[in-house]
Amino acid sequence: MTPQRKYGTWWTALFLLLLVGGVLLIVSHDFLAMRVDLPIYPGLGVTSTAMLSDYFAPLKGTAADTMAYILQGDEPGGTAFVLGGTHPNEPASSLAAIVLIESARVTRGRLVVIPRANRSAFTCSEPQEGYPQTYTIETANGSREFRYGSRGTNPVDQWPDPVIYINAAGQSLAGSEVRNLNRSYPGSPDGNLTEQLAYAIVELIRQEDVDMAIDLHEASPEYPVINAIVAHEDALNIAAEAAMFLEFEGMQIGVERSPDNLRGLSHREWGDATDTLALLVEAPNPAQGRLRGRTSVELIVEGIDPFYVRAAQRGLLYVPFFEAGHPIDERVGRHLQTIAMLLEVYNEYTDKGVVVVDVPTLSSVLEQGVGAFLLQPNTTNATN
Amino acid sequence: MTIIYQLITVGIILLVAWNLFREKRLAEQMAAALVLIPLILRALMIR
Repeated sequence: MTPQRKYGTWWTALFLLLLVGGVLLIVSHDFLAMRVDLPIYPGLGVTSTAMLSDYFAPLKGTAADTMAYILQGDEPGGTAFVLGGTHPNEPASSLAAIVLIESARVTRGRLVVIPRANRSAFTCSEPQEGYPQTYTIETANGSREFRYGSRGTNPVDQWPDPVIYINAAGQSLAGSEVRNLNRSYPGSPDGNLTEQLAYAIVELIRQEDVDMAIDLHEASPEYPVINAIVAHEDALNIAAEAAMFLEFEGMQIGVERSPDNLRGLSHREWGDATDTLALLVEAPNPAQGRLRGRTSVELIVEGIDPFYVRAAQRGLLYVPFFEAGHPIDERVGRHLQTIAMLLEVYNEYTDKGVVVVDVPTLSSVLEQGVGAFLLQPNTTNATN
Repeated sequence: MTIIYQLITVGIILLVAWNLFREKRLAEQMAAALVLIPLILRALMIR
């Protein structure tokens, strides 16, 4: 038997340790860079801002504290709330909220927008998924970068995960869901960070007396609840009427009733815990799906994937998928047009209406690109 | 709770580093060095 060669010495160990130090320096720089919020440029419609910790003080100074942008109209009315960025790997959600902040105006009532609901989840990406840390949108005056984050709170901010997670509503879930904001409602004031974040959002809805609350999401094309509005039973009529009018306008969208026995999600718990009309909207994001090909910035922005085209031809998807894919322009446009329609229908049935103007339609976003509705990178009034 | 897991991680780092210096096979030393990277990132709460 040939003796095994041994070349390891204290010197090789020391050299490897120095090499580890070098690698740590490089990767730490990359990981820590994700903790810096990329700028948002509030438009003329934004009248004030607040932090989520203003509604639940223990959140102050934590990675979960996030900014709410308030658009107040001159005429008194109701309050609508749009939540983007619950899952930062669903970029159209956050981007649609940012478009509202940068280009919409309110003439009646009030609109509260949070674009980075789970701010901690924007500071990391999903392990083993190959996601880029940012994606780029072209505007008339240059490129703007946006963060592509993780589905769950950064494990650095909330660790470790349990084997089984039982949320505040009593639902048993897989352990990793403990960091999923949209499984943590109605939250808990003395729970983990994600539960406290969920509690703070419910407190915002209560304290601001929100009449209609809309949670923006995206889903993989093989997921059944897609191109859909999920509505709490109190908001089901409004969702159904809005969907009907959206279909008349050529936008395919379905309506799902929030299941009674699936607890911890916004469309169920917001509606049960508060007086708000709770709704959740889904758009198709091929970058999230398991059937996707190469994961890249192009896939996130252009939404083109030949594997999904083949899957659609075999009837495996819940959404049509052609060569043109589902670009982020379409996904953001869908969200914006759905928000506008939900508000329009709501306003027909109440004297506490919320009138939001300058919300881009699906066709205008498809025509001009979402970058046309974002403010320029050189604008001076940026917030982080 | 988190601090307990951090201390466990630091303990494992010390054991792996000890193994790195005691090991005579270069391939095993390289494997130990590779394992140290994620452990140190988590102990420092960077990733």
